Amino acid sequence: MSKIDLSLSVNGERHEVRTEPHRTLLDVLRTDLGFTGTKENCLEAECGVCTVLLDGAAMNACILLAAECQGREVLTIEGLAREGGLHPLQQAFIDHGAVQCGYCIPGMILAAKAYLDEHPSPTEAQVREALAGNLCRCTGYQKIAEAVLAAAGELASRRT
Amino acid sequence: MARTLRRVVGKSLPRMDAAGKVTGTAVYAADFALPGMLCGRIFRSTEPHARIVRLDLSRARAVPGVRAVLGAADVPDVLFGGGLKDEPVFARDKVRYVGQAVAAVAAATPEAAEAALGAIEVSYAPLPAVLDLEAALAPGAPLIHEGWRDYTAIPILHRDGNVCNRARIVVGDVERGFEEAERIFEHRFRTGMVHQGYTEPRAAVAAWDTSGTVTIWSNTQLPFDVQNTLAEILQIPPSKIRIVVPGVGGGFGGKLRVGVEHFAAFLARKTGRPVKVMTSSEEELTAAYPRQGTIVELKTGVTRDGRITAKSGRIWFDTGAFAGSGPGVASVATLVLAGPYKIPNLSLEGFAVYTNKTNCGSFRAPSGPQANFAVESQMDIIADALGIDPLAFRLKNIVREGDEGPTGQVLAAVGLEECLLKAAAAIGWDDRKPGPSRGKGLACGWWTTTGGSSGVYVKINPDGTVALNTGAAEIGTAALTGAAQVLAEELGIDLADINVVSADTFSTPFDFGAQGSRTAFAVGNACRAAVDDLKGRIFALAAAQLGVAPDACHLVDKHVLANGKRISLADLARLSQQTGGGLIAQGTFIAPPTAYDSKRVDGHVYPAFHSPSFHAHAVDLSIDPETGDVTIHKYVVAQDVGFAMNPTYIEGQIEGGVAQGLGQALSEEIVYENGRVLNPNLTDYKMPTTLDMPRVETILVQHPSLVGPYGAKGVGEPPNIEPPAAVANAVASATALRLTSLPITAEHIALALRDAGA
Repeated sequence: MSKIDLSLSVNGERHEVRTEPHRTLLDVLRTDLGFTGTKENCLEAECGVCTVLLDGAAMNACILLAAECQGREVLTIEGLAREGGLHPLQQAFIDHGAVQCGYCIPGMILAAKAYLDEHPSPTEAQVREALAGNLCRCTGYQKIAEAVLAAAGELASRRT
Repeated sequence: MARTLRRVVGKSLPRMDAAGKVTGTAVYAADFALPGMLCGRIFRSTEPHARIVRLDLSRARAVPGVRAVLGAADVPDVLFGGGLKDEPVFARDKVRYVGQAVAAVAAATPEAAEAALGAIEVSYAPLPAVLDLEAALAPGAPLIHEGWRDYTAIPILHRDGNVCNRARIVVGDVERGFEEAERIFEHRFRTGMVHQGYTEPRAAVAAWDTSGTVTIWSNTQLPFDVQNTLAEILQIPPSKIRIVVPGVGGGFGGKLRVGVEHFAAFLARKTGRPVKVMTSSEEELTAAYPRQGTIVELKTGVTRDGRITAKSGRIWFDTGAFAGSGPGVASVATLVLAGPYKIPNLSLEGFAVYTNKTNCGSFRAPSGPQANFAVESQMDIIADALGIDPLAFRLKNIVREGDEGPTGQVLAAVGLEECLLKAAAAIGWDDRKPGPSRGKGLACGWWTTTGGSSGVYVKINPDGTVALNTGAAEIGTAALTGAAQVLAEELGIDLADINVVSADTFSTPFDFGAQGSRTAFAVGNACRAAVDDLKGRIFALAAAQLGVAPDACHLVDKHVLANGKRISLADLARLSQQTGGGLIAQGTFIAPPTAYDSKRVDGHVYPAFHSPSFHAHAVDLSIDPETGDVTIHKYVVAQDVGFAMNPTYIEGQIEGGVAQGLGQALSEEIVYENGRVLNPNLTDYKMPTTLDMPRVETILVQHPSLVGPYGAKGVGEPPNIEPPAAVANAVASATALRLTSLPITAEHIALALRDAGA
């Protein structure tokens, strides 16, 4: 199959990839670029473990073609703590015991970030609605919701 | 007083592996890759039961990029399994379920591997399929394993045709007990097949070296069991098999046994290249190790004032095409059928039954939810019929300190009454029907802390940090954080001073594995044993340095203290490295056997619950009378955990266990029709989302066990047991409908309401 040249911006850095046009962003992130923090499971946009931010919006990388992401900004979990310290969401997930096996957590944190970026003071019901596309089988979601609300508070206090 | 001095155990400290997991740097088996690695894929049966007439792999082998295609003829003719060896690597003469492995391919790319699967030619001659339990048990039913008599099995099992074990508990004289009863109740229940639902697929990367050793990076819960099973399958010594467990994205029992490791190993050996095999969601829901569907029949005799005089019960497990965990699960089930109740006369049987479905296995508290659903549903039915409050009926019959369990074990640290009273109080039991179509339900139960041995090595580094080397895998529960808290407490150091190395069969000590709520319990105790050993050496060294007697020494805050003098653990470790090879110790633990009356059991592989836990769940819910939709207002769990080593993660176990339990109660089922799964995807297999889960209120009850570290009991499995029964009882309270099949979907409720003319 003929290949195409892609220029992808991931976590603020440019990556040149030569690949088949049918490959997904998830596959290219994990296999070609080594960003395995973006997780792989159902490959049908049902579970949410592959959630990344594309121009700030939460997307399932498993059903995005890598070629569609040219000229757009991809944020993976590896890009969230680049400044050295953890992002408030990451810290809150640790502090609130929201992490068990952790496999859904990168996607969960990024889905929460996308929501909090648009809705800085959510209710618990709104947080749960925002994360409804991200399955977690370990936690029962309670500590995840608590962590997101706590992070929202922390982010708000940093803005003031 | 001792309790107030504790600085690490009992504290809600963050888990040790959290930072790696929130930053995406933690490596899971599904993430693992090696240079030159090939992609392995499995070719699976499309027939529930059929003779293989022809299998031609030649076209598949010719597909560009394909490096190997293997079928039954290419691997040893061995059968593997736990207590009963009945499963081949690839179907040899016939297939026994839709999804059974028939062949495997390895190729340079996933696309080439898929193309090769499409080029495999197979033709089947269908055989009469056994599609459910009734069909399997019917007189003259087709045999799924014609050669069952010739299989290797542990002698304890009672097998007969499609029944691959019948386990039994008999106590007293059940017929006389029924004669003493004033009312007798007989009911039948069904439960559906459900999947563990871990978010990380099963995955294995295998690579062989020139010495003939294979290393497999796998997300198994039981690396040592997989090592030994693979030795039988590959026909090489276990010492040539190295299992390494990177991060595990959830297991819940679904990653106990060999799943894809053997395929990866054979493909890697054939190609001389590393091979990775990872399951798809469709494979998970058609060819994994889910929880067995069951039929349960219960007959219970009571006096008018609510004393249980006798109970007989039978539970049949649809274990699928191979025994899997079925024979053991059928055994455990009989203890659950007895319930946490004092009943003088019992006759309880569990059957593991072959059908032409996927091979079922172990799912968090295997047999617990199914058997408890029947027992606790019937307790409410009986209480209602007798006009007794369901809580009072339970309190009249529950086991208490010093009582006997069903097989004669003497029960200690029984916190059940406290659990029931606290759960009932928290749900507001006084007002059981707070509104129209709204009701509350209770359920209680008991469970085991699985035995088996654990070993650890503990090494003190010259900077005073400590390495904990354990053969147990961290599957997400934070059990190894709990064990490390025990180690830190015993050594007088901080949790942050400990690094954990785990689950590598070449370098870590043996561990029975991350199963049965045992890891923090057993590894924690092994840590205590290691510290006991280390103390001798540390104190001898310190005594010589400080000029004191060894028995004057104490470990406090990273130092040895004696008679007002002190020396740091770091200094002692440095000293020991210069003079004696460093401070290192081994610690081992095996749970002491639980005494029971062997005359009461037959065909039973799990005759007593070790350091049993007790628990009660309560739920307050409403039903939409039009749609049957269930809204849960409040869910309460009161669980006797013995000692809460890390309350945050125990709450996490309880909240997550309830989520899985509510899935089984309300929405989850692998639905078979004519031997085929109708819903092999995560849209139609409905696990709870954020919107489905209520808040869970956790009440930790602590009656210290005699064996566990600081009195701890196993906590991981129990929260999964009671939700179906609690929900069924609340639905009955809300609607006066008694639903006896799981899952209790909105559709089932709406149809039942319509049939009842409501």
